[in-house]
Amino acid sequence: MAYVATRGGERAIEQAERLFRAEMGTITPERINEIKAAMPYLVDRVMGEASLYDEDIAALALAQTGGELYEAVLVLRAWRTTQPRLSVAEPIDQDALFTHRRLSAAFKDIPGGQLLGPTLDYSHRLLATQVLTGEAFDPVPVDPAATPAPAHQPSVSAWQAANDLVDLPDDDTTRPDDIPDITREPLLFPSKRAHTLQSLARGETGGVLALGYAAMRGYGQAHPTVNELRLAEAEIVVTHPKGTKFSAGRVKVSQAEVLSKKGEKLELGFAATLGWNEVKVIAAATLDLNSAGAPKGAATEEEFFLYHTEGVESSGFCIHFKLPHYVTFQSSLDAMRDAKARSAQQKETAQ
Amino acid sequence: MPKPAQEFSHEDALSILARADAAALKALGEDLAIGFPDVEVVHSRTGLVMLPMRDTAQGTAFHLGEVLVSEAHIRHGTHEGYGLRKGIDLEASMAMALVDIALASGTYVEMCRDFLRKSDAQHRDADTETLRRIEATRVDMETF
Repeated sequence: MAYVATRGGERAIEQAERLFRAEMGTITPERINEIKAAMPYLVDRVMGEASLYDEDIAALALAQTGGELYEAVLVLRAWRTTQPRLSVAEPIDQDALFTHRRLSAAFKDIPGGQLLGPTLDYSHRLLATQVLTGEAFDPVPVDPAATPAPAHQPSVSAWQAANDLVDLPDDDTTRPDDIPDITREPLLFPSKRAHTLQSLARGETGGVLALGYAAMRGYGQAHPTVNELRLAEAEIVVTHPKGTKFSAGRVKVSQAEVLSKKGEKLELGFAATLGWNEVKVIAAATLDLNSAGAPKGAATEEEFFLYHTEGVESSGFCIHFKLPHYVTFQSSLDAMRDAKARSAQQKETAQ
Repeated sequence: MPKPAQEFSHEDALSILARADAAALKALGEDLAIGFPDVEVVHSRTGLVMLPMRDTAQGTAFHLGEVLVSEAHIRHGTHEGYGLRKGIDLEASMAMALVDIALASGTYVEMCRDFLRKSDAQHRDADTETLRRIEATRVDMETF
């Protein structure tokens, strides 16, 4: 295969970018604030896929790219590389999450109970078309309970372990600085579990859903049941130069555990991401549950789903096909013409 | 119930400051800066903190992603002040570091404690209000 540099078109390229940006118009701090306030789930999705948590920067990326999600994630990942890594926080433990939503589809009477939190799960999906004719849509406010929910909820799997349904794992004692990191090392197969979970955490939502859905529909080895789903806030626990550990604030996180029966015990799959994105974590946990022993080339095989859910690489590869391929395509045409000429010659000889 | 200010540990004080309202913290920082004209600034920068999580299925610690933060590290004599907060706001992280060094050096202590007391009460109230709204969504399911 050969590549040649193309020349010219600078003016067209500049005008094309102007044309793209003209659609969005002037980007102001007010627009950034409006995006943050009006579309928190979109901001969360972009932060999760970019693997960079900051609502302002994510909203800016959305404003600057007009909501073209692949471009927004790309610009965030690129910007991230301009920032130094200052430290690695203490690992988040499930029991310490400030929990907003917590469900189990496997057991209704879980310790701590079930909290629906913010959701449209049980709502009619009706469009408020009156807004288009000038009538504002004011959501009905929540009637707060007299007493607050507990901030922290116990683990469902710990309760299951006490009932001899699952085997609880030993805690990984790897120092935070030594946890394998795919932003600094290549993803190799068989993948380290830390790489697998980090890749899924930053995976593209649509890709993770598509492959997770394939597993759910029967192209996997195990049917998932949601053991525990949480939308929560996690403390960022960092260390003062004098050694004091403290919380530098909270970030939104989602996590899902799915389970399937395996012999006399239940087997768990797990996934988590920055921001609130429950579709992604349920689908990703399903892939994790199904990956052990998956055949080569199956949607649930680790190499297959990790490579194909990396949104920046996959979208980049996809859109590169529209860039000039004149030499490679010309080469294909030449081969086609040669074959045609040979075929014509053979027909002539035969006559 | 808000804590008596003297009961704030170093950890509590730092955690409250990291979450405190940025405008109020910066106003306090401006007042404190007058008392520390010659602090040595070790760092005042933005950067990333990698956030790991522990997987509940197999116990593996893995990286969830990075959080954008602002960090300030200052020295005054033998005392060190440190501020680290979410987002890009170098003034707020510097103000946090100034409060930290003020408390460490025993300067403007009452002013800082008063700020901690008020901020802590605000955080507790906000959390309680959030959790009351969450509790309203508790569901008692029956199977038939």
